[in-house]
Amino acid sequence: MPFTFDAAPVDVRPDIGRLFRREWNRLATPGTWWDGRERVDIARAARRARFGADEAPSSLPTVAIEAAGATSSRPASIRRSWVETIATDLGYPRYVEIVGITSRLAAIDTFHLALGMDPESPPEPEPGEPSRTEEPHARPGAAWVPMVGGASITQALSLVDAESVAQEDMHGPLYLTYEGMAEFDYVAGLSRAQMELVAARTSAINECFY
Amino acid sequence: MLRASTEVTSTPLDPRSITDRSVDPLLPDGSILLDFVDAALIGDDSERSATRSAVLAVVGPTGLVDAAGVIANFEMMNRIADATGMPVGKGTLKRTAEWRDLIGINGLNHL
Repeated sequence: MPFTFDAAPVDVRPDIGRLFRREWNRLATPGTWWDGRERVDIARAARRARFGADEAPSSLPTVAIEAAGATSSRPASIRRSWVETIATDLGYPRYVEIVGITSRLAAIDTFHLALGMDPESPPEPEPGEPSRTEEPHARPGAAWVPMVGGASITQALSLVDAESVAQEDMHGPLYLTYEGMAEFDYVAGLSRAQMELVAARTSAINECFY
Repeated sequence: MLRASTEVTSTPLDPRSITDRSVDPLLPDGSILLDFVDAALIGDDSERSATRSAVLAVVGPTGLVDAAGVIANFEMMNRIADATGMPVGKGTLKRTAEWRDLIGINGLNHL
């Protein structure tokens, strides 16, 4: 079973193991615009760009490999014109699904790195076709990709609903639920202020203005 | 979020420490936590091991896992924000102008 955290220096909350296993299952299963093999290969391309390991994935068009690599290893260098070029080839929904996959993979891999554990091996892809479910309410707006409602970080992946749901699933156990973010005096293993200092420094190192 | 959490809980903080590691953050165990973030994202195995031990000593195992979780979550959120060109709202820009100047992050806005 993946994500048992046997090599962790401390006990890891079981909800994090369940969360990561759910994400691994999502990764291997046909998504909305990419099938299971392609989704796993997007993850492999992301890791290859970030850590320099693994071989180039074979099931993906070159532009998808480029998108996975950029969102994984140099997100601060991404510009609107580049996104428009990628979307011309792939379409915005396929690009957004890549962003979802690579961003959650980055979270899982960094969690392992921070706690001194090796990254988990990629899952075996499941057969099947992507659902190709269109999001009828998504519109272009102030951000670079269409989304449902106004430009908001919680809606960033809403062009592909399954990716937006997966983002929110990850957010709660690793940090706070969207609702819980209003609790500024929250205290668990860290105080809220300590959590926010860690978050701010992470964003500074990543050169993320948002 | 950082500003609000320190104000609500009357926790001391020098926000310049976010971008200038020579500045004492003043927040309890703040320097140790910042060292851990740096090691996790741009350090080597030996730095990660040393800073993990230091975090463990001051905030315990639950705090260490929480810190790793927050770093992980913002690795995700930073990528989503950058890759989708998420703008910061006008209200937030206005509220945070003084802090952004102090921290020196205005140059990171590439929208």
